[in-house]
Amino acid sequence: MATETTPPSKPSPELPSANPATPTVDVPPPSAAATPTPSTSATTPATVTPRLPEPDADVVHIPSYSRWFSWNGIHECEARFVPEFFDGRSSSKNPRVYKYYRNAIIRRFRENPNRKITFTEVRKTIVGDVGSIRRVFDFLEAWGLINYAGSAKPQLKWEDKETKSAAAAAPQGSDVAAGGGGADVSVPKKRVCSGCKTPCTIACFASDKHDMTLCARCYVRGNYRVGLSSADFKRVEISEEAKTDWTDKETLQLLEAIMHYGDDWKKVAEHVSGKSVKECVARFIKLPFGEQFDGPPESAELDTELGLQNQAIPTKRMRLSPLADASNPIMAQAAFLSTLVGVDVAEVAARAAVTALSDLGEGKQQESNNASNGDKLNMMEEALVEAKSQLEKEEEELEKTISGIATQSKEIEDKILQFEEFDLEMERKRQLFQQLQDRLFVDQLTILFNKTAAQKSGENTGEVIKIE
Amino acid sequence: MFLMYRPTADNLVPIRLDIEIDGQRFRDAFTWNPSDPDSEVVVFAKRTVKDLKLPPAFVTQIAQSIQTQLTDFRSYEGQDMYTGEKVVPIKLDLRVNHTLIKDQFLWDLNNFESDPEEFAKSFCKDMGIEDLEVGPAIAIAIREQLYEIAVQNVTSARESRINKKGRRGFDHIQASKTGGNAVDLFKLFGNKSSVVRKRKEWDVYEPIVDLLSNEEVDALEAKEERNNR
Repeated sequence: MATETTPPSKPSPELPSANPATPTVDVPPPSAAATPTPSTSATTPATVTPRLPEPDADVVHIPSYSRWFSWNGIHECEARFVPEFFDGRSSSKNPRVYKYYRNAIIRRFRENPNRKITFTEVRKTIVGDVGSIRRVFDFLEAWGLINYAGSAKPQLKWEDKETKSAAAAAPQGSDVAAGGGGADVSVPKKRVCSGCKTPCTIACFASDKHDMTLCARCYVRGNYRVGLSSADFKRVEISEEAKTDWTDKETLQLLEAIMHYGDDWKKVAEHVSGKSVKECVARFIKLPFGEQFDGPPESAELDTELGLQNQAIPTKRMRLSPLADASNPIMAQAAFLSTLVGVDVAEVAARAAVTALSDLGEGKQQESNNASNGDKLNMMEEALVEAKSQLEKEEEELEKTISGIATQSKEIEDKILQFEEFDLEMERKRQLFQQLQDRLFVDQLTILFNKTAAQKSGENTGEVIKIE
Repeated sequence: MFLMYRPTADNLVPIRLDIEIDGQRFRDAFTWNPSDPDSEVVVFAKRTVKDLKLPPAFVTQIAQSIQTQLTDFRSYEGQDMYTGEKVVPIKLDLRVNHTLIKDQFLWDLNNFESDPEEFAKSFCKDMGIEDLEVGPAIAIAIREQLYEIAVQNVTSARESRINKKGRRGFDHIQASKTGGNAVDLFKLFGNKSSVVRKRKEWDVYEPIVDLLSNEEVDALEAKEERNNR
């Protein structure tokens, strides 16, 4: 499996081509580990790594393996995973009804995307039988179209990292296949199968990308969550399990070693007791900031380097804590990066970043100039922080307005559709009335003719016909 | 003249739950598809308890209640029932949160294309009802009444079959027993030239949707509680 290096840039919001009407949809980048070749019709999802969430209420995130979704159409994987609506066996279950359920659920979720929506509150508002609604709901949740990363939080403490990232990355509660979220996997010494919930013996199959563990039986039977394939799982021997778990001490040693030895993985492995080179590398990649830290920091990249001062650090955790509370996850990340990189490099990068910023005409020029003149790295920090936050604010506003426009245009579309239908109805009624009028006129004429005929022929009868 | 019990094409079962455990009361109403396997009942009960964060004791109670209602339904399914010309009046009189609905209309039991769900959806759309919980409540109310009528039909068909063995004049008994609440279309419209209702009946058949204020809702709820006791 070849490892790809992804450029450590912030994922830009993409608009899926199929549906211009949806709000801005963010697609997380594939991780540094190789992705299984994505086959057609979205059967194999791209890997989803726990990445730092963007704090924006109007941007809806869905995973890249669900980018087929469109409001007005039905994709073939929907027909495959919820076949009851498409096989024509039941007259009340047809694609139209399915679309109604699906769109109602998704619309309801997107009214408040930061909150996970429960099946019960949704089914109370949808007209239909609860069994079908539940199956559609589970399907949507498994594919991340609802309740996706609704409550992911930035990770800083190493010991909480695994549990939370497992919970955030894996969509929860799928009844379709066995076992939904990988909430079971939390630095386990004992592996429990996420499928059948039995403790694994001898050997099991683990998928690190999705933080799932399946016992041999479930693996063979194919009790995966929706969207996984057998290639995602690696065989893990239980007997060696205990040895491969990373304790905090080992992780700390790893980071120290990386800081000291940089890319020399042999020395890093030596420094970390009991882990081989491969394990160290694998572990490092799996750390939440691993994918961003890719080779020497590039001076032109604004996003990776904020050039915070690096101090001689005995313990990373201690140094992280002052900035770890920062509400801005980027700051926390920058703090970590700065600890990994030498002082000189940080300084150079900072200067380059400042010059780049001043070229763009943002940030406080005076402060940056002062800072670059003197040794006051602290002032530089502040300037950069402010510039960064302003940039972010502008981006957020932009995204907000775009998504606002998108929702509005969707609403207008709906209204237009309704009006069109209404118009059609009115037109039909008008024609109907026209016909009735014509018929009435014909009737009147006939009566008139008959009347005159009767008068001519039967004057002596003296009948008077009243025309109503 | 005898047909299987099948008031609508898809035959969903209206389920009502009213369970009280340790002073905590859970009330709910929804439609269930009887062709779902019975294992789904427990799954649904667990899901509901989890979503609403109810104490786990509710799971078995909910599952049992649903199962009982389903079994009752199934005992009528496949039974013969009399359906001749069968247009029945359906009355809606329900309150969902702040919306009060009163309506009356005729429903053709012989036409299996009639779909309570579609009726509920277009009712809400036409009347501009914003509360999304109203739609399902209407569908459930309609289905419950259809169910009632069907049950009556099945029992009366059974009785008339018993009577048939004993007496003649079978048709006579049939007509009187089963014509109970059905509307005899011929009588109603036979000698008139128009299907349009008389003006004075328009008010009866017009749907009424009221939005209540908070105080009115509280007052009504108190009254309902008293009636239930």
